[in-house]
Formats: sequence, structure tokens, C-alpha cells
Amino acid sequence: MASAEIYRYLSIESKKYGLDPEGYLVDMNDWSPAVAEALATEEGIALTSEHWEILEVLRDFYARYEMAPAMRPLVKSVGQILGPEKGRSIYLMRLFPGSPAKVAARLAGLPKPTHCL
Amino acid sequence: MLLHVVNRSPATSRVYQQALSGMSSEDRLLLIEDGVQGALPQLVPYYAGLEGRLFALKEDLASRGLLGLCDASVQVVDVDGFVELTEEAERTVSWY
Amino acid sequence: MREQHDDNDLLVILRHGPHGSSWLKEGLDAALVAAAFGRRVSLLFMGEGVTALMTNQQTGALGQKGTAATLEMLEMYDIETLLVDAQGLSCLGLSSEELMLEVECLSSAALARVLSGHRLVLTF
Repeated sequence: MASAEIYRYLSIESKKYGLDPEGYLVDMNDWSPAVAEALATEEGIALTSEHWEILEVLRDFYARYEMAPAMRPLVKSVGQILGPEKGRSIYLMRLFPGSPAKVAARLAGLPKPTHCL
Repeated sequence: MLLHVVNRSPATSRVYQQALSGMSSEDRLLLIEDGVQGALPQLVPYYAGLEGRLFALKEDLASRGLLGLCDASVQVVDVDGFVELTEEAERTVSWY
Repeated sequence: MREQHDDNDLLVILRHGPHGSSWLKEGLDAALVAAAFGRRVSLLFMGEGVTALMTNQQTGALGQKGTAATLEMLEMYDIETLLVDAQGLSCLGLSSEELMLEVECLSSAALARVLSGHRLVLTF
């Protein structure tokens, strides 16, 4: 969960965005595609259209359910919206290495998923 | 057979109803903490139908001054008896 | 559902309504975590817990998030077995058609079977 406390800042040009200790945006309203790009750079990811459509799925998920999804529901959601080819954990692992649910939520400007370790 | 444990009095809480809904005809019910009030003759009718399967914890009755006042249909068990009931049951379900 | 004793099955009993306490939220959290880790989770709404399923829930007076959005989300976690204590509903004069999700109403006898059919039961 996003804590209200700012631990460090993400700087883009002259603007500063507060991040929590785990690198999630403290204020969700700070999010913009430019912020996503900067967060992705920190993760060593160059965002492609394949990444963006996943971030979109995540933002829709949050808008609807008020929570960031764990891996299983993320996979299910992606499968429903983008088709079964993409609704697979291996596909998401390739785009967002490590822990896709957490990394993708961070880039999408969502709080940390509540129901995963 | 499951052991159900209730720690609230039927005089102040409806949790006893949930326990009763969850009980099968072999399950047992143990009253502990404030739940032991349910062993009093005035309140024991809430547990009608549980004859032989209704227990109350002696220590909790004693500490509340209720030990001698239980209805005859209630079996009073001490902490060791509680442990035995737990061992005899497949599992324990608490209602609080 | 009867006497299966599948060790992967978890029954979460929710006995509190939204907003009054954090019980409901904590019970749902436990269910979601278990589901995220692959357990097959069933939810049983008992007593006052049935009010978690009311339609048209809103945020609290101080803007607190409710639990309705979380309930909508259950299907994304593959939590599809939603059981309701029929007595809890009738106590409040409600019927299962008025609820926000499709549920299975259980008589007291069916409820006892569900309880003894689950090795893992968490009560909230």
C-alpha cells in the first residue's frame, strides 16, 4: 500500500514527484506518461506499445476495483481484455521482469498490490 | 464431529444463533468466558436441542460466581476437559 | 461441497457489515491473499455479514472506502463460491435477489454441512 510519506523524489526536468520507500507514487494524481517513462527507466525497461497496453489494463482495473491486482487477477484481466495470448504470466514476466504485478503497478502509478508478497 | 466454542452471552449477543446454524446434529458446543451465562437455567433454553452436547467451562463459571447455578443439562468441564473435548473433535470452530 | 476435505479449500466466514469495523475488510483481505496464492476460496456471509452484499453502498461519512468494489473484484481472484446464511438475510427482511452479487442461500442444515466439509475455516 502507498504510504503517505515521501521517501525520495523522482525528478523530470524541473518537476519533482514524491515516491514512497518502495518507489510507488505517493500521490496517484502525479501520474502521467512522462512519469511512467521515468519510472521505467529506473527499472531498466524501455516502454513499448506492448507495455503501455498492460499499464492501461492496470489503470482500468484500479478505477473499477480501487485496488491494484496481484499476479493472478492481473493475468486474468489481461487475458480478458487483450486476449489469451497475452493473458499469461510468462508474457508479463518478459515485459516486466521480476515481479510483474508490482513493477507494472508502479509504472502505472498505482499503489503497491495489496495481496502479494 | 466439530467442537464449537462460544464466548458471548446469549443475553447480549446473537452470536449463539450463528453457532447453532453452523452445528450439525453430532457437533458439540462449549461455552467459555461471558458465554458461560448461557448455562444458567434462565438462558439455557436458547440452546434447546443440545442436551448431552452442551458444555461450559468451570473456571469461567467459577470466576463469575456462577458455578453452582448452572442448569442440570449442562456438562461442566475444567480446562483439562476443554483439552479433551478439543482432542475428541475433528476441529474447533470459534464464534465470538 | 459435501465432505470433500480438499486441503486446498478455504472457507472464510464474514459476520460483520461494512463501515462499522474493520472485520469485513480484514476477512476479505485474507480471502484475496489465499486466492492469490492459489487456494480455492469460498466465502460465507453470516448474520450481519450479509449486509456486505447490499447494492448502492457508498463511501463512509469521512470518505472511507467501502468494500463493495472489493466484492466486485472477487471474480478476478476466481472466488466464485459465495454462500449466504438464509437466516441472516431473513432477520433483516432481505432476500437474495436484492444483493449485488449472485449468491447461494443456505439453510442451517446446509450451513453445517459446509462447515464440516472444510478443513480450513477462518472466521471474521
